[in-house]
Amino acid sequence: MSAQTENILEVRNLKKTFTMKSGHKVEAVKGISFSVRRGEIFGFLGPNGAGKSTTISMLTTQLAANDGEILIDGIDARRDPVAARAKIGVVAQHNNMDRSLTARENLLFHAKYFGMDEAAAEKKADEYLEKFGLAEWQNDYVSSFSGGMAQRLKIARAMMHTPSILFLDEPTTGLDPNYREILWEQMLELNKQGTTIFLTTHYMEEPERFCENIAIVNHGELKALGTSSQLKALIPSKNILTLKLDSLNEDDARAAAALKDVQQAKIQNGTLQLYLNTKQPDFDGIIRWTEDRHKTLQNISLSTSTLDDVFLYLTGSAMNAPEK
Amino acid sequence: MNNPISSAFWAMVHRDLLAQWRDKGEFIFRVVMLPLILIITYGYVLPEIGLVPREFPTHMFAGMIGMSILITGIHGTAIPFTMDFNNMHEIEDRLQAPVPANLVAYAKMLVGIIEAFIGGLLVLPFSAFFMGSRVELALQGDRIVYLVPVLILIAIASATLGLLVGTIVKPMQIAAMFPGFLMPMVFSGAIFFTWKSLTAVPFFQKIILINPLVYANEALRFALTPQIDSMPIACSAGGLIISSLIMGYFGFKRFHYMCVNR
Ligand SMILES: Nc1ncnc2c1ncn2[C@@H]1O[C@H](COP(=O)(O)OP(=O)(O)OP(=O)(O)O)[C@@H](O)[C@H]1O
Ligand SMILES: [Mg+2]
Repeated sequence: MSAQTENILEVRNLKKTFTMKSGHKVEAVKGISFSVRRGEIFGFLGPNGAGKSTTISMLTTQLAANDGEILIDGIDARRDPVAARAKIGVVAQHNNMDRSLTARENLLFHAKYFGMDEAAAEKKADEYLEKFGLAEWQNDYVSSFSGGMAQRLKIARAMMHTPSILFLDEPTTGLDPNYREILWEQMLELNKQGTTIFLTTHYMEEPERFCENIAIVNHGELKALGTSSQLKALIPSKNILTLKLDSLNEDDARAAAALKDVQQAKIQNGTLQLYLNTKQPDFDGIIRWTEDRHKTLQNISLSTSTLDDVFLYLTGSAMNAPEK
Repeated sequence: MNNPISSAFWAMVHRDLLAQWRDKGEFIFRVVMLPLILIITYGYVLPEIGLVPREFPTHMFAGMIGMSILITGIHGTAIPFTMDFNNMHEIEDRLQAPVPANLVAYAKMLVGIIEAFIGGLLVLPFSAFFMGSRVELALQGDRIVYLVPVLILIAIASATLGLLVGTIVKPMQIAAMFPGFLMPMVFSGAIFFTWKSLTAVPFFQKIILINPLVYANEALRFALTPQIDSMPIACSAGGLIISSLIMGYFGFKRFHYMCVNR
């Protein structure tokens, strides 16, 4: 083995186009490039249909890419998927547990597929069943598990063979806040032990709290990549005033940009976003301005920027807005 | 034994056998029902009421075995693939193993082959019970030596056909498989007639050569009931080998496609 590379994952110009039955082509991933450092927690953020699962499937050798390069721990995953698979663990978005096996058997068979020694596998299964709160149900069939239990078992299974990098596709979707916390605790612990974590999510607060680097994707394109504060620096200001008016056009945005304390004004997701250079805007003046323009103000709110705002700024639509 | 490929392979086989064992009631029901009903009607009722000759059971005995092996093997391989690739996704964990994807297919096919043999064996008690003395096995030393290789060829053919079918058919189409695929295969599969006897209907005789069950049954007939005229063994064995090669080739192609286009 050669010396460890600094980046556990390198992706260059990765592309995937699906051809639908109608002949219509969907460019799910449009040539994205990024790298993930060894030992970090990397967040891959995007709304429904952004191409997150498609990307994970390609990175984990489950889906043939149309173009591009994937290096996992220095291994070209498209040329040598077998060697690449030895390095990775995958937690799919859907339930793919073996329903005809018990929880424990799911872990043990997985270990055997990965050539683990039996004694080591038994020991690890004990450890993970305990850690993921499944010891009591270890001899029950997975078909009788709740969504949350199956989800925890899925993660335990993916960890059994100690992958160098663990891919999790929306691991916390469908979990209640309590289990989300527990899951995060476990992921952080695994990370502390040296596993790189790559996860997709459309919950903004999670990567903001836990990820060192965050990639924002939309419509198969990488919109931005960096730490949470780097991403937030992409928007003009961290103080954002959001106005919901009965009607809006570009003229309003241009006029608003000339208002006091307003650095930039943009119509986004049907609202007027004012990026301010103050934390204490002149509310009265702004309300008067809406009246002068004969608009009905339906809602006004002041917030400090979040990744949601970054997303909104970069793409013009809200992260969790319904798809058009 | 600590070769990662062989340990992964045997773990996959073990997993499938364990899962099937837990569902043994379903397995026995699905494997036994079709031959049972055919044996009762064609092997017992029809000869009894004189609609077919009394020696008819001898005619159909080899066909019953061949049909059971082939259908059990196809089913045992095809249905799990169809369900796994499209609905259950349970196979994904195996495909994620650091071994060539073909290994997953080989393991499933071996299990299909094992099930196919069990399917063939399960027919024997019913045949004995309902057709009993009416089946005349004229076992001859120089013929019976062909039996084991023929059984193996049939089982392999069933697994390759299962691989092909399982990677093409969608779960929603499974219901259509019975009237659309299995029934035509069974009724044109030289169970109730020998291939040579079809000289009177030449187009049918030719067209059924695409059905692997014809070769399976003719080969079994050659080995088990030599008194009945059958295809030369070179033709029936050759037919099984060629159809396995063709179906295996396209089956693996489809399998690879499904592996990276899930
Ligand atoms: N097998 C497929 N065939 C055709 N189109 C597909 C297929 N898989 C994904 N797509 C399309 O590719 C695009 C990206 O889908 P993908 O599942 O990667 O999104 P995602 O970011 O994971 O979304 P979600 O948050 O809903 O899981 C979508 O437009 C989707 O319709
Ligand atoms: Mg997804």
